[in-house]
Amino acid sequence: MNIAPRYLGRGSWLARRDPRVLILVVVLFIFTVLQIWDARRVLLLLGVAVLYYRTGDIPWAEIRRNWAIVFAFIGTLVVVNAILAGGSTAEVPLTEAHVLFTLPILGTPMSAESISLAVTLFLRYMAMATIGFPVAFCVAPNDFGIAFRRLGVPDKFAFALDLTFRFLPSLAADFQTTVDAQRIRGYDWSAGAKGFVGKVRRSGPVIVPTVVNAIAGAEDTIDAMDLRAFGTGKRTWIRHLAYDRTDWIVLLAFLGLLIAATAWGFTHGASVWTPQFLIDLAEH
Amino acid sequence: MTALKWERGALWDVSSRTIVYAAIGAALYGILLVAQLPIPGTTVSVRPAFALVPFFGYAFGPIVGLFTGLVGNAVGDQISGWGLLTSWNWSIANGLVGLIAGLAPLYLARWVNGNLRDRAIGGAVAGAIAVVIGFLFTFTDLIIQSGNTVGGVTSFYFTVIVADLIATIILVPVLVYAWEPMKAQLGR
Repeated sequence: MNIAPRYLGRGSWLARRDPRVLILVVVLFIFTVLQIWDARRVLLLLGVAVLYYRTGDIPWAEIRRNWAIVFAFIGTLVVVNAILAGGSTAEVPLTEAHVLFTLPILGTPMSAESISLAVTLFLRYMAMATIGFPVAFCVAPNDFGIAFRRLGVPDKFAFALDLTFRFLPSLAADFQTTVDAQRIRGYDWSAGAKGFVGKVRRSGPVIVPTVVNAIAGAEDTIDAMDLRAFGTGKRTWIRHLAYDRTDWIVLLAFLGLLIAATAWGFTHGASVWTPQFLIDLAEH
Repeated sequence: MTALKWERGALWDVSSRTIVYAAIGAALYGILLVAQLPIPGTTVSVRPAFALVPFFGYAFGPIVGLFTGLVGNAVGDQISGWGLLTSWNWSIANGLVGLIAGLAPLYLARWVNGNLRDRAIGGAVAGAIAVVIGFLFTFTDLIIQSGNTVGGVTSFYFTVIVADLIATIILVPVLVYAWEPMKAQLGR
C-alpha cells in the first residue's frame, strides 16, 4: 500500500523554488480570490493559477483521479448550495431575482443571479484548488518541517511535522500488515457489514491493533530523543533554505495581486456579476 | 505523568513524548483517512479514522489532540492531492476536536479519574462534546466563502458531525479499552 505523499513535480520549475514560496503563495492567493466576486476577474485569477500550476510539470495521468474528486466535491458543494438558496442570493432576494426555471420534482426556482453565484463559487473553489495542488506534489515531503520552522512555527512543532511525514511509510506498512493478518484469519473489514454503524464497527479489528502497535512502538523513538536531550537547546536543521531572486519575484507578484484585489474591493465593492444575457433570458 | 490521569499543569507540557505521540496520531489519521464510507448524495463520508482525533486528545492531552486533528487532516488532504492548506479551516476544526477532547480532565474529571469502564465512557462523551463544539469552526465557511448559505453550511455541519459522532462513539471506548492495559504494561 503506497500512502506516502507523491513528489510528482520533482525537478520542475516550481519544485526548484524554496518550499516556503509554495506555502506562502497559497495563503496570498486564497486571500486574493476571497475578495473577488466578479466571475470575469475570478476567471483571470483561475488563469493565473493554471499557469502557476503548469510550471509544476505534474503528470496528468498520475493525478486524473485527484482532479475527478475535486470536480465532484466542488460540483456537489456548489449545486447543494444553489438548491438550498432557492433562487435568491445574499444580495438579491427571490422577489427581485430573475427566475429562469424551476427545478423539476424539487420545485426550487433557479434565477440568473443564483446561477451566476454558483458559477462564481465554482470558479473560486477551482482557482483555490489549482493553486493548492503544487503544495501536494511539488514540495519534497521532508522539506515541510524546515519550511514551517523558517516561517515561524516553534521548533518542537516543526519537528513533529517532520516526524509525521517520516512516520507515514512505516505506519502505512504496519496498517497493511494488520489488514493482511486479519484477512488470513478470514476477517475482511470492507465486506459483510450493513449500514454505517456496522461498517464502522467492523473497522475496529483493523484500526485498534494498528493504533496500539504504533503507540507501543513509539517508545523507542521517545527514548532515542530523550537520550539525545531533545528540546533542551536550540535545534539545528540539516537542510538550509534560502530565497533566490526568482522566489522573491514570485512572492512579490502574488503579494501585488493581493494588494490589487484588496484595492479593487475597497473601490468597487464586492458584488456578484450577473451576465446581461441571463437576465434577458429570464425576462423573455 | 500518566496518560489519562492528568494534573492541570501537565496538560500543556510539550515533551519528547508529546511530540512523538502527536506525530504518530497525525500520521495514523492521515493514513487511515484513505478508508472512507461515502454518504450517498453528499460530499461527506463516515471516516472510522476520525475516532483517532478525540482518542489521542483524550489519552495524551490537548496538545497531542490538537496536532493530531490539525496536521492529520492536512496530511490526509496532502496525500489525496487536495493540498496541505487548501481546506485550512476544516483542519483547524479537526484540531479543535482533539484539543477539546484533551481538556476532558477539566470538565469530566469524575469519569477520567474513574475505573476503566468510566474512562472508556468518558472518552466517548468527551469525543462527542468535542465533535459538536469543534466543528462549529467550519461555519467560518460563511465568511471565507460568503456566497455559501447558512442553510448550506448548517446542513454540511450536521452531516459531518453525525458521521463523525458514529465513529467517535463506537471506536473511542474500544481504543481506550485496548490502550489502558498496554499503558499499564509500559509503566506509563
